[in-house]
Amino acid sequence: MPAPALEIVDLQKRYPNGVEALRGVSIGIQPGDFFGLLGPNGAGKSTLIHCTTGLAQPTGGEIRVFGHDAISDYGEARAAVGLAPQEVNLDQFLTCEETLEFHGGYFGMRKRDRKERAAELLETFSLTAKARERTRALSGGMKRRLILARALMHRPRLLILDEPTAGVDIELRLELWHYVQKINAEGVTILLTTHYLEEADQLCGRIAFIADGQIAAQGTSEDLAARYDVVNLEDAYLALVGRRELSRSHVDGGVTA
Amino acid sequence: MSTWQIRFLSLWRREISRFMKIKKQTLGGPLLETFLYISVFGAALGSRIKELHGIEYIVFVIPGLIMMAFATNAFSNNSSSILQQKFLGAIHDQLSSPASPRELLLAFSLGGFVRGLIVATLTFIVAIVLTNLTVDHVLVLLPSIFLVGFFFANLGVLIGVRAEQFDDVAFAQTFILQPLIFLGGVFYSAALLPEPFETLTKFNPVYYMISLVRYGFVGFTEVNIPLALAALTAATAALFLLNLRLFQRGYKLRS
Ligand SMILES: Nc1ncnc2c1ncn2[C@@H]1O[C@H](COP(=O)(O)OP(=O)(O)OP(=O)(O)O)[C@@H](O)[C@H]1O
Ligand SMILES: [Mg+2]
Repeated sequence: MPAPALEIVDLQKRYPNGVEALRGVSIGIQPGDFFGLLGPNGAGKSTLIHCTTGLAQPTGGEIRVFGHDAISDYGEARAAVGLAPQEVNLDQFLTCEETLEFHGGYFGMRKRDRKERAAELLETFSLTAKARERTRALSGGMKRRLILARALMHRPRLLILDEPTAGVDIELRLELWHYVQKINAEGVTILLTTHYLEEADQLCGRIAFIADGQIAAQGTSEDLAARYDVVNLEDAYLALVGRRELSRSHVDGGVTA
Repeated sequence: MSTWQIRFLSLWRREISRFMKIKKQTLGGPLLETFLYISVFGAALGSRIKELHGIEYIVFVIPGLIMMAFATNAFSNNSSSILQQKFLGAIHDQLSSPASPRELLLAFSLGGFVRGLIVATLTFIVAIVLTNLTVDHVLVLLPSIFLVGFFFANLGVLIGVRAEQFDDVAFAQTFILQPLIFLGGVFYSAALLPEPFETLTKFNPVYYMISLVRYGFVGFTEVNIPLALAALTAATAALFLLNLRLFQRGYKLRS
């Protein structure tokens, strides 16, 4: 059996200020999975992602990316991951083209490959006209697209998307869905966090609920609904956060508690 | 080229491209500043002072100015570049790449090093053309000036990594770096100072750096050259190793 794309065992993260952001999280994502990580604000989703990509240092547990330990074998582990972070973190001095070009360089891509790949991704994300513009001249949605292009630049085998559709227009959201489904079908494993449950429902084969630094439940959307004895993912989520009364299923008159 | 070479060169190229994009501020400003010093201290004061230790005053001052340009540019480039990237979060792009702590540290420090080298070299060229500046001991000059540049480049990295706001960087520059450099004897010889300043100067590490560089250019010195060079080498190595430790631990870069 091939190594899991991402294997996290008993991961713990306590920030220097004492916040226990992760308290023994374990998940396994198989190659080719489209995995959703859902949970309320502050649940620890970004922390888990940062621990995986070297931006935060775990205080306990293990992380392996395609079998490579994220700490002791960080070079191989990070080379396999493409990260689109939650916060837009573009360098304002660089143009769109340079942003991709440098990123490719950090991952050891050769010049010719960098040029071709950057042009291809700028085209894919409708940024070709902005190739030579500095990133600060982009609109919010364009910045999001550039961040996605950057995450894909080095052809990662595991793509991590931390709330990629926050604040983007409907066209871009749908475009993005199509795009990630396409690359997932081509074999790229995807870890997605989102607060849009229909997005998770539509895209993710498997979903984990995280709350207060712990995994509360995981499985398919149907598994989760069954686990909380409700009819859909949204109600399962509401059950997770203890807000069943907000359920929209009631309104339809179908289900009563 | 191997993967790590491509990676390292990309990291380094990024640092250079940053200051090249704002040349007016990063190269133009410092050059103008240096030329103003040369005119004020060389032409104006020089017409009064004429000579120090048998050396034409302007020629006595220029080695210190070249060193000061190298040091302050290397320092301020790296401290601002790192702080800026931390501020925007853009540094996460490098930090989440496969680059090792050593590659990251070298790339960040050599960015400012190159900027300092450019300003210092241009100042040197102008000085060689316009004044009677000579290079007496090139084998002392080159290692000394490169070590000084690398030392301040690493000091800039350290301050940039530690800094949490732009004020922290400005503070280090204005209240620590500038006084040490100015009081290190750029414009005068420590032997001419009244006590206790003459003695105090000898506790200023920059004094030995300036002395080394000045000796390399004009052959005059008040310090033990081999000893000063050894101390500078040791200090630079120690600072680099300290930075390396911090980078390995992810200090203030990885939460
Ligand atoms: N750098 C940090 N230092 C200290 N505490 C932090 C840091 N980053 C996050 N935290 C804390 O860790 C906890 C988890 O935060 P995290 O960003 O992982 O949540 P999240 O699930 O991504 O939330 P959101 O949906 O709002 O993005 C929160 O309590 C947060 O305040
Ligand atoms: Mg988050």
